[in-house]
Amino acid sequence: MPSWALKLSALFITLFVLAGSFDYARDHVKNANAPLQPPVADRPAASAAPPTPTPGITIPPLLTTRPGQRPPTTTPGARLTLAPGVQSATLPPLTFTHTS
Amino acid sequence: MDPQLAVWLVARATGVAAYIALCLSILSGIALRTSVLDFLAKNRALRSLHDFMTWVWIPLGALHVTALLLDRTARITPLDVVVPFQVSYAPTAIGLGTLSFDLVVIITLTSWLRRRMDDRVWRWIHRSSYLVFVTMFVHALLSGTDFSSPFISSISWSAALGIGLLAASRIVFGRLPE
Repeated sequence: MPSWALKLSALFITLFVLAGSFDYARDHVKNANAPLQPPVADRPAASAAPPTPTPGITIPPLLTTRPGQRPPTTTPGARLTLAPGVQSATLPPLTFTHTS
Repeated sequence: MDPQLAVWLVARATGVAAYIALCLSILSGIALRTSVLDFLAKNRALRSLHDFMTWVWIPLGALHVTALLLDRTARITPLDVVVPFQVSYAPTAIGLGTLSFDLVVIITLTSWLRRRMDDRVWRWIHRSSYLVFVTMFVHALLSGTDFSSPFISSISWSAALGIGLLAASRIVFGRLPE
């Protein structure tokens, strides 16, 4: 095989791998099985205990039933259950209850 | 496309491509001293390929490092490119990449300065290409985001197997006379 054919083949293989891996990375932007998972942001308080999920928060009914109106079919006071992976934030709440 | 996403994709793709280009360079280098690729080409053509591949992996490796420097998530500093085992979250996995980068730069520079160097010293430096491949492969294995994919994994392992076979044949059959 001549030299130019070897070079061309090697260049083609490299470009094929480059294009293929770019295409694969574009289709799989996030890989949960990736060995490295660098921290996205610095933790505000490394010594603080991690927040625990609060399952079973009971939300009071927001809708009231008018006289003569049929009650809603959904159970009032539905329970909001956080998934195991969801954690409550340690930041102060964004809402407040008092009015000015 | 988001610039950070583009940088991340370029870093991943060029990492794999630079690995393959370096594998081809090492393969052609080992083939120069063995007879296993005689059916494919003469030594002059293999030597020409070996020299040519340097100009293929240099831009790919430079792009890989530059993209990682620009990537905010990877948090690679210019010092981490030169000094191995400094990164806080994965010192070994990334440090092996730095080590292979440092070694390959030394090997390339000494190859360009070969005529001005003692031949025995140059040979020993050039033999560290085997170490470069091992560190680069382990770096890819420990830190490669796409190494778990069948496409990337099959290419990487095939290249490693090819180099392993040629290296073993050189050890078993020895070195051809110049």
